[in-house]
Amino acid sequence: MTNDTSGDVRLSGISKAYGSFTAVHPLDLTVPQGSFFALLGASGCGKTTTLRMIAGLEEPSAGTVFLGDQEVTRLPPYKRPVNTVFQSYALFPHLDIFENVAFGLRRRGIKSVKKQVEEMLDLVQLGEQARKKPHQLSGGQQQRVAVARALINHPKVLLLDEPLGALDLKLRRQMQLELKRIQTEVGITFVHVTHDQEEAMTMADTVAVMNAGRVEQLGSPADLYENPRTTFVANFLGTSNLIEADVDSRSGDEIVLKAGGGKLVLPEARCSAPTTTGGKVLVGVRPEKISLTHAHDAGEIPAGRNRITGKIADSRFIGVSTQYVVDSPVCPDFEVYAQNIDRDTRLVPGADVVLHWNPAHTFGLDATQSLLAGTVGSVGIEEEAAV
Amino acid sequence: MALVNWLRRNLVVIAGLLTLGYLLLPNIIVTVFSFNEPRGRFNYEWQQFSADAWKDPCGVSDLCGSLSVSLRIAFWATLGATALGTMIAFALVRYRFRARGAINSLIFLPMAMPEVVMAASLLTLFLNMGAQLGFWTILIAHVMFCLSFVVTAVKARVMSMDPRLEQAAQDLYAGPFQTFIRVTLPIAAPGIAAGALLAFALSFDDFIITNFNAGSTVTFPMFVWGSAQRGTPVQINVIGTAMFLVAVLFVLASMVIGNRRTKQKA
Amino acid sequence: MATLTEAPPPLSPTAPAKTPPRRRGRLVPYWLLLPGILWLLVFFALPMIYQASTSVQTGSLEEGYEVTWHFATYWDALSEYYPQFLRSVLYAGSATVLCLILGYPLAYLIAFRAGRWRNLIMILVIAPFFTSFLIRTLAWKTILADGGPVVGALNTLHVLDVTSWLGMTSGDRVLATPLAVVCGLTYNFLPFMILPLYSSLERIDGRLHEAAGDLYAKPITTFRKVTFPLSMPGVVSGTLLTFIPAAGDYVNADLLGSADTRMVGNVIQTQFLRILDYPTAAALSFILMAAILVMVTVYIRKSGTEDLV
Repeated sequence: MTNDTSGDVRLSGISKAYGSFTAVHPLDLTVPQGSFFALLGASGCGKTTTLRMIAGLEEPSAGTVFLGDQEVTRLPPYKRPVNTVFQSYALFPHLDIFENVAFGLRRRGIKSVKKQVEEMLDLVQLGEQARKKPHQLSGGQQQRVAVARALINHPKVLLLDEPLGALDLKLRRQMQLELKRIQTEVGITFVHVTHDQEEAMTMADTVAVMNAGRVEQLGSPADLYENPRTTFVANFLGTSNLIEADVDSRSGDEIVLKAGGGKLVLPEARCSAPTTTGGKVLVGVRPEKISLTHAHDAGEIPAGRNRITGKIADSRFIGVSTQYVVDSPVCPDFEVYAQNIDRDTRLVPGADVVLHWNPAHTFGLDATQSLLAGTVGSVGIEEEAAV
Repeated sequence: MALVNWLRRNLVVIAGLLTLGYLLLPNIIVTVFSFNEPRGRFNYEWQQFSADAWKDPCGVSDLCGSLSVSLRIAFWATLGATALGTMIAFALVRYRFRARGAINSLIFLPMAMPEVVMAASLLTLFLNMGAQLGFWTILIAHVMFCLSFVVTAVKARVMSMDPRLEQAAQDLYAGPFQTFIRVTLPIAAPGIAAGALLAFALSFDDFIITNFNAGSTVTFPMFVWGSAQRGTPVQINVIGTAMFLVAVLFVLASMVIGNRRTKQKA
Repeated sequence: MATLTEAPPPLSPTAPAKTPPRRRGRLVPYWLLLPGILWLLVFFALPMIYQASTSVQTGSLEEGYEVTWHFATYWDALSEYYPQFLRSVLYAGSATVLCLILGYPLAYLIAFRAGRWRNLIMILVIAPFFTSFLIRTLAWKTILADGGPVVGALNTLHVLDVTSWLGMTSGDRVLATPLAVVCGLTYNFLPFMILPLYSSLERIDGRLHEAAGDLYAKPITTFRKVTFPLSMPGVVSGTLLTFIPAAGDYVNADLLGSADTRMVGNVIQTQFLRILDYPTAAALSFILMAAILVMVTVYIRKSGTEDLV
């Protein structure tokens, strides 16, 4: 990536309130030139409002928006060098595909648009459809028209508002790769709003997880997944098993915790909460990091691993892996995903098991938060699950 | 048994077609009697076939004059009501403002008011102001009662319009004026056209309000009313039939053109 | 004329719905509303006030009128013309019920059973509008003529005996009887029933019928429990659009009726345009307006469809 900063998006202290409801709390954010940035969160978390403030479709209540070195906070949308791919595309129904794509060029007084439009339509593989009306195209084709209509203007930043939300799963996967390819090709800064964590993680270089008008955590997909700093991020991105534990002692750079009579070890570097001896902390571990051993073989488990005992409550075979739900004294529904390499036939519902994992995969969170934040069914996530 | 079953299944269709017949019967009579050659002053009884009236539709004094008055009033009333009504519809759908409830009632009430009440009260106003009754007072009245219908028609269309379309236009470098001309207006056009068509039909066919506020000006419905008292010339039926046919042909033609267009594109 | 052809003010009429308009935009809605609302205030609301004032004036054409708060005009008007008021309600009510009975099957036919004939039938429902309604009403004089085929058929079927007994007709005549007036009113306002019925029926998802059938509902039960309740908005606005103009109409009573079928509209028209007794006419008109508004409000409340407007 170059040192060119003309495509940077800088938000400083930006916020938006509708009457007494605050949609976005004061927010500082820098999206570097050429990056693929995702704003991820449930509906109503403020991610779309943030995007619309960058586009100029929403005026911030406070704060400033910079594109490169230019302040654009008060500029109307038609004077900003950014373009948007709208949710459900907003293609003009009365214009054909060619005119839809040419719209932005024509408004800027460019007369000979034919060559550019045709090139752009070829880029999104719609050259044949130029004279059709939007309603005659499939969802995926409409989506590509929307991208072409925005990209032809060579914006400094392309904003994407849930661009794949209306597509079915298979097409969505395909379009994710397609968008990523286009972004690499044109090198424009992309800011992508989505509620789909998988989509955000596969496409973006950097993801900002938003909740209730605030950015909960910002980082690369791997970083967010491995080191969540709040229960919301831990639950919203993938699945986490969270255990409430008491701080027992410290040894070196490790914290020793007590949970349900057993001991667990947590590397201090992976704990985002302040820990005092006797205090509480939430311990988390991802389901795929855990190994499952039948209670009879407990002696074969190497020393130095975190262990928990329990009884298998349910198991689901899903091809590449088997997902177990384990009922344990410290956590009622412990999720464990086991690769189907050598399947132990004794691991059926009702079997007593020992769960164990490398302490390095443990992360610690502040115990004052809700254990359920970010799970399906909690506030704000419900509607999304229904969609 | 099969017949009974068939009847039972198609009862709705039969009843519906009977109603349609009831609706169209007077038009058939009007058409048939446009070829009548009545003996007396009234054209209510069939005598014998004659195409004289069709050859000379303006043969009755004042008939075509009144028709032209009606067409002129309908034209201007449509223009006025459509312009004012479209503006109100946009304001109602797109903006927040004070006194919204009061304004909604003011628009609803003319549609919920018997014509005779509006006619009588408007006449009271004109008499009090000492206004000269005639073309202008008719026009004012027609704009007034067509306005609400235009608002309703345009509002429905604008409400179903995705606000993101206009945002997309703004995002693509169209200023407010360009956005309105290139996107808003073309998309709202069917609603505006429907409102205008309705206004034209209402104005052209209005009798009660016109009758109160016309003074000595005679519109086509007033001419018909007058002739119902004095004697009905066959030419009235000719004009009525012609209007019916023009309307049907107009709609059929626009449908055929619309169909052909979508077929070409597909 | 200037106000008539006035172009929309050159302010942004297009700022998106949720965005608070930028600075000068705040006045835009008021500019958009101003000409039309002013028109309605001056030529609709103000006349109502003038009319209310006229109804409590006394005087004569020659000497001029003066507001004397003479409420007795109302009492006199009511006691003299209550039969015409009752007739208006009765005729308009009958016509509305008949419109609903006749119009529903046709609206249902267009919405669900017409297939590719849908557009043609729609055109046939609307096109008669373009032949002046006065001409079409006059055609009923021919259809219902004494000794004509329609009257003959009704006579043979003894329908006229029933209607005579009900006081709707007299002897073997239909013209110049209440039946003729109700028939004319029904005919004239039928499209105003059919169109709203159609538009609310059309919105009903056809699969609901299948779902009801799947859940063991007979066709008649499906209609009673699913279709009809869902078409209620259309029924409500259809009955209003039929009843209100029918109650104020005087054309049908004049052309098809007789002196015994005069409705309140006829009285108002005569008082205003022939007898020139303005206070009485204004009082009658005011009573009609008040009665209709009360009925409409009660009806809308009862039927629970307040978002008609």
